[in-house]
Amino acid sequence: MKQFLTAVAAAAFALGAQAADPIKIGVAGPFTGGSSSMGVSMRDGVRLAADEINKSGGVLGRQIQLIERDDEAKNERGVQIAQELINKEKVAATVGYINTGVALASQRFYQDAKIPVMNNVATGSAITLQFKDQPENYVFRNAAHDSIQAPMIVEEAVTRRGFKKVAILADSTNYGQLGRADLEAALKLKGITPVAVEKFNIKDVDMTAQLLKAKEAGAEAVLTYGIGPELAQIANGMTKLGWKVPMIGSWTLSMANYIDNAGPGGEGARMPQTFIQEPTTPKRQSFIINYLKTFNPKNSRMDSPVSAAQGYDSIYLLAAAIKQAGSTEGPKIKAALEDLKTPVEGVVTTYNKPFSKTDHEAITANIPVFGEVKGQRVVYAYPEDFKKASEVRVKDVNAKGAMEQKKRQ
Amino acid sequence: MQILTQLVFSGIALGMIYAVIAFGYQLTFATSDTLNFGQGDALMLGALVGLTLVGLGVNYWLMIPLVCLFGAVQGAVVERIGVRPALKIKSEFGWIMSTIALGIIFKNVAENVWGRDDLKFPSPLPESPMKFLGANVLPMEILVIVGAVGMMLAVEVFNRKSIYGKAVVATFNDRDAAKLMGINTGLVITFSYALSSLSAAFAGVLIAPLTLTGATMGAVLGLKAFAVAIIGGLTSGMGIILGGIILGVAETTTGFYLSTGYKDVPGLVLLLIVLAVKPAGLFGKTAIKKV
Repeated sequence: MKQFLTAVAAAAFALGAQAADPIKIGVAGPFTGGSSSMGVSMRDGVRLAADEINKSGGVLGRQIQLIERDDEAKNERGVQIAQELINKEKVAATVGYINTGVALASQRFYQDAKIPVMNNVATGSAITLQFKDQPENYVFRNAAHDSIQAPMIVEEAVTRRGFKKVAILADSTNYGQLGRADLEAALKLKGITPVAVEKFNIKDVDMTAQLLKAKEAGAEAVLTYGIGPELAQIANGMTKLGWKVPMIGSWTLSMANYIDNAGPGGEGARMPQTFIQEPTTPKRQSFIINYLKTFNPKNSRMDSPVSAAQGYDSIYLLAAAIKQAGSTEGPKIKAALEDLKTPVEGVVTTYNKPFSKTDHEAITANIPVFGEVKGQRVVYAYPEDFKKASEVRVKDVNAKGAMEQKKRQ
Repeated sequence: MQILTQLVFSGIALGMIYAVIAFGYQLTFATSDTLNFGQGDALMLGALVGLTLVGLGVNYWLMIPLVCLFGAVQGAVVERIGVRPALKIKSEFGWIMSTIALGIIFKNVAENVWGRDDLKFPSPLPESPMKFLGANVLPMEILVIVGAVGMMLAVEVFNRKSIYGKAVVATFNDRDAAKLMGINTGLVITFSYALSSLSAAFAGVLIAPLTLTGATMGAVLGLKAFAVAIIGGLTSGMGIILGGIILGVAETTTGFYLSTGYKDVPGLVLLLIVLAVKPAGLFGKTAIKKV
């Protein structure tokens, strides 16, 4: 990281940035621990975007300087980092957050300081609604929230593949339990009650009881809400019991530590994805090539392509807003984000007026597609999606499929 | 019936994982009345060292003795640094903090060396399940059971038959008297710590293909194993095995018949009952402490 900062500093120096101060942007996420494959991919996407912008002259003639901090997926670390970035580093904006709990705990400080936060990975429905009742809301998001994902999972399982008996397996964290509630609500809209709803803890090594309950109840598919390592134990448990039904779950089924730890037993799992590592448009192609060249991940597979793409896009969205605002003052950036005049071409989609005063979600239900684990990587689950992938899916506020987002704590 | 068999088998496999770790607690308690609270971390280090060796191309079976050697050295270090000073000044509780502290240090070192992600440990046996009495069992689970029982038997035989083992037993019975009889009790205690970490490291590579391998794998397992050691009794090898099986089967059956949200509760309730009714453990001998 030091090297990177020096590289940025050197670049800034070489360009002779008219002695203008760099624009500081905070990057917060878990770069170590169970959700680090998402955090590190997000950070790398952010670095790539910042580097590209800096090489082409920066924003407002100023370079972007990233202030990266590891929140370890812990709420209290997130709070400390928020205070440090606001008071000491005086950032213009912050991107990041992988974990819903950390985002909810930390972003109140940005709200009070009137500094925009762009959530680029965390999916909890409540995130953008936390300050909805306040006159100004500084929290934005360019990730597919759970109110989109849960109905998508149910649509895939019940409507497209015709499973009437489904079991839900969710972890006992906020993420898992809020997701479970969303899944149950989405199933209810289809008139279906899950045949089994089971819980597991982080670090559980045996899933026999949960899986046997689902099996005995006659489940035809297992819907999951959890993170990589435990999802892998579910797949391994199914192999052990010799009971193989499709696993369909939230986007975390695309995490590298799920795919690696589940091995052959993890093949066929499906999950909503905003981005799949395929060069389907020129923008995506150049993103993938540059990412692989710069960070050189194992087997040329991004650990979490979705996080990388959303991290990359989040910087371009902010840069566009700062450029339009002509200022790095929080309220002006926020106003520009809510009324972006020029479309921003990103990796996930082309952002044409992504936000408004009342709508802080850039991703709508029509944007994500289904990915499937195949040959140890995530590919398009449906060939027709792959064929049409070059037509960029743009935001449609009237898109069907999302549930109403409810404010929950 | 088939369901119950499956639950019991999975419970036994899980319980034996706990039992092999709990066995390490028993070994040090037997000589010095102290416990290595870093047992879970010794297990984690063993598994990660094993993973590195396998990654370097060492065969799984050849790697085991190397990991055992590493475990023995690691245990001896813990005893020298953490436990001996406390025993020397006859501190009742000094070793508790120092073994916990060493455990945390080992965990942090492991996080820096191996990272904080969970890694996959390649299985030396086929990963497809076998049918046994109508239930599915993984070959690796059978290896865990066989390995655990084999290791415990080896240590028991050593303690009962060899002269060195008799020194261990003598040290347990009365440390001061053993010393007067010419037994180097300090060395015996160091040896028991080495043996205890050796068994933990062995347990680590034994269970790693079933669980995931990572710096944090020891924490939950070490704690459950401690419960097993208390339930079974810290002085009884047999009790550890039965304690492990009881806790493992309690977890899987509660998960199925009651609720997976409560699966850890019955084992811990049992722990409380045992502590209230039979503090020495279900199979432990009550020791009368003369002051």
